[in-house]
Amino acid sequence: MVALAVLSQQSWAAGVRGTAKSALAPVESQMMSIASAVEAATAIFGDVASLRTQNQRLGAENQDLKRQLAEMNAAAIDNKELRQALDYQRSFGHRTVAAEVVGRGPDSFSRTLQIDRGTADGVQAGMIVVSGAGLVGRVREAGPHGAIVQTLADPQSRANVFLSGSGLQGTVVGGPGALHVQIEHRLGIVPTKGEWAITSGIGGGYPRGLVVGAVTSFTHSDAASVDVALIEWANDPRTLSLVIVVVDFMPS
Amino acid sequence: MKVAAGILLMVAAALLQVTWASQLEIAGAFPNLVLIAVIGVTWTQGVRAGLLWACVGGILLDLNAPGPLGPHAVALLAGAYTAGFWARNLDRDRFLHPMGAVACGTVLYSLVLMGADGVLGLPIPQLDTAVPLVVAACAVNAALTLPLLGVLRWVTSRLHWEPAAA
Repeated sequence: MVALAVLSQQSWAAGVRGTAKSALAPVESQMMSIASAVEAATAIFGDVASLRTQNQRLGAENQDLKRQLAEMNAAAIDNKELRQALDYQRSFGHRTVAAEVVGRGPDSFSRTLQIDRGTADGVQAGMIVVSGAGLVGRVREAGPHGAIVQTLADPQSRANVFLSGSGLQGTVVGGPGALHVQIEHRLGIVPTKGEWAITSGIGGGYPRGLVVGAVTSFTHSDAASVDVALIEWANDPRTLSLVIVVVDFMPS
Repeated sequence: MKVAAGILLMVAAALLQVTWASQLEIAGAFPNLVLIAVIGVTWTQGVRAGLLWACVGGILLDLNAPGPLGPHAVALLAGAYTAGFWARNLDRDRFLHPMGAVACGTVLYSLVLMGADGVLGLPIPQLDTAVPLVVAACAVNAALTLPLLGVLRWVTSRLHWEPAAA
């Protein structure tokens, strides 16, 4: 196993490794579809339980209407996500590829997503990944028909941002609970709750202007060289099902 | 038959782990179904079977993780060995023992995984991030041990697998 790890890490093995990692993507896509169907079914059962009294009165006709409503809601959520993605692609001004999330990282240490687009679709390692809500992360590895995305929640993830209200600059650091932003001290200026953290473009890792999240709390210490604010990420990695890979921006 | 069932078990556990398990996140950690399955196999079928299926399950997890193939397999081998050692030397009929073995296996699995990543030059989380995650993972995995072990025992009894000698 150690030998396999060392060998598969070599650059000449990247192609084989990527192909092997892409192999599971179709099965995972099916599993995610089943998960969505189970969630939809669970939602219907939940609604039925809460509306039992009303259902008894209205009878079978009402149940039928409820089923139709649940199906329409599910379709509306899909439509909303697709419309957001389409609007984003139109307004963003970069060339993009939409991808479906087919899996997530196997352990809690690395917060990654597996998507169903790879080098065959123009996706390369290093490209940035966004959603209609904002920045998701960066492509870490790409196989022919799948790629692994390191999300902002990954503890190793870093992104330079500025705060929309105060203009303070800082670096967002990933974490399992919430994103932290380490903010430079500036005399007399402190972040305020609710202002947006937006990528600054400094360092060339991400283009300027991508929404990361909103400040939820702030800790100031005169003794520390930086202040720390907690950020509510605009994306919830547990519910992300569709992402957009920006294929014409590579970090400098 | 036994090999096919084992592969099916590991593939199912790995797919569930990378698709559904993250929905059950508690304090930043989510269930490691492959680790629980490997320790369950070790507990019921012996350390040799556990080590074999640790390799299979680990490769499946590595296929879904960034980086080279192997770190998860090595980490699972450590977890399986811990469980085998525990089952061989302690009273395996007590219900708390499998939970303890899974908790210890989770700690060792996490340490070996981070160590392997460090040796291979991959990024590893800082200590203040890793410790709460490992503690939460221990609790989550231990809590799921008994029901999943019950399912595994039911399956192995249906397939007429002989339990391993202590």
